[in-house]
Amino acid sequence: MTQPYNKPLPQRSPENEPFWAGLENREFRIPKCNDCGHWNWVPYPACRNCLSTDQDWALTDGKGKIFSYTVVHRGPGGFRDDVPYVLAMVEFPVGARTPIVLGTMVDVDPDAVHTGMPVKVVYEDIEGEGVTIWHFAPDA
Amino acid sequence: MSFPQRKAAIVGVYNTKQAKMLEGTPWTLALEAIQGALDDAGLKHSDIDGLSSMMYDASLTAQQMWVEQLGGRPMTYTSHGIAGALVTKAAATIAAGLTNVVCIYFGNAGMRAGPSKQRAAAEAAPVIRKAPRVPDWDFNIHGAYMSAWYALWTRRYMDQFNAPYENLAEYPVIARYHATLNPASLMGERGEITVQDVIDSPMISSPLHRLDCSLDNDGGYAILVASAEVAKNCRKDPVWVLGGGEGIYTDFYMSFTDDWINDNGQSVRRASDIAFAGAGVTRDDIDVTGMYDCFPVTMARNIEEMGFCKVGEGHEYIKEGHLKLGGKLPTNTDGGLLSHSHCGNPSGMHVVEVVKQLRGECDARQVKDAKIGAVLSQGYAVHGVAGVAILGKD
Ligand SMILES: [Zn+2]
Repeated sequence: MTQPYNKPLPQRSPENEPFWAGLENREFRIPKCNDCGHWNWVPYPACRNCLSTDQDWALTDGKGKIFSYTVVHRGPGGFRDDVPYVLAMVEFPVGARTPIVLGTMVDVDPDAVHTGMPVKVVYEDIEGEGVTIWHFAPDA
Repeated sequence: MSFPQRKAAIVGVYNTKQAKMLEGTPWTLALEAIQGALDDAGLKHSDIDGLSSMMYDASLTAQQMWVEQLGGRPMTYTSHGIAGALVTKAAATIAAGLTNVVCIYFGNAGMRAGPSKQRAAAEAAPVIRKAPRVPDWDFNIHGAYMSAWYALWTRRYMDQFNAPYENLAEYPVIARYHATLNPASLMGERGEITVQDVIDSPMISSPLHRLDCSLDNDGGYAILVASAEVAKNCRKDPVWVLGGGEGIYTDFYMSFTDDWINDNGQSVRRASDIAFAGAGVTRDDIDVTGMYDCFPVTMARNIEEMGFCKVGEGHEYIKEGHLKLGGKLPTNTDGGLLSHSHCGNPSGMHVVEVVKQLRGECDARQVKDAKIGAVLSQGYAVHGVAGVAILGKD
């Protein structure tokens, strides 16, 4: 029997259900305001820019570039045996104030990671937990 | 618009012993700190009529329990937040006549902030268990924690401004030197370190090495802010609150945008500009500072956002040694969070040290003729919440 997944997982709140369902379908969605066009990450019920609640879970192409990164050598809790792992802040080039999304990198040589590196969202279905989470991988 | 001048002063400060493990509970350590600050001021617990909690549980109901503990009679002010802002808001509230003696307090025992605590919990847990569920955008899902967040900040800063790691690594060296002059510090007795020692210490989260990271220990402290009328009868000379400010933006390590570090500044800039304008002093008037220094990049960004140097030049300012005793801006003369103590929610300790400097109580690490000091508290997302207080003696 494989070890159960023992790292924190998102609670999958009802108001964010389109996002989590999107991950299951290999779609990375970010709320976009229908009134002013502002992209809002992390999601809130209203647009940061104009306070409109008319937002759509807009589909992105799942591609971005690294804003910053770190190679973690001492991990907390369930991440302790994953070290070294790469944690990245990724810019999604969609608007004036570019949203930045945090995630771990997979399929990557830690020594090759650099600021500005093109990356894409990849998906991991967590068996038995009913949730899919995202990571980033190099976008060759 | 100026801050109400010489209407409120810090009249009592106290740090409990700071150590890896202390006997007691958060409550008893905070209580010991409050008793110490009352002794320092020459006041009684029944003189306190306002509370500013820095406890991990700073809820209103928890504060009510402290009202009961400290006399069981109605008080007239309550607040929570980070220390620089709490000092400022206490002074403003006192000047408005709403309260007379505000106690800012914190204590922590056995609650590690870093991964060691979580590791112990993981080892104690049963082998088979469900993954813990956390809020949707929680950074813990991605294996982030404080050192990793500041590592991300450090890397961004280094890349954005071509800042050499070695410049930033000068800060732990300065902090350790200060700690060697502070008998109460955790690390002083281990002696001075070099930049090479920092580089040779184990990698925690690149580019941060162990000696770049805050300590993680137990301890408590308390600060008493009182009206001018109360202050004139206190045991020690008043340290006046000349001005201050608070800044708050972004959620708790969730939302960031690509203008994270920009020339217009963020919450620390807002708080600083309000504080200096209100106090009617300039950056050049500052003789000593205490700034929240959880990692070297925090210090580089602190002095940039506070206006002691330009954005992107903080690493050079550190390298040039200005923050060291004898430099033009002696900072964290107790050894700060890297070499004195990080007791969990430590921003009040920067206030305590600046107050001691302005009173001339710092012995081997005393800044000569220190008359005006500045305190910066920050945290809750890198430079998310900011609190600045400008302090001065007669
Ligand atoms: Zn909008």
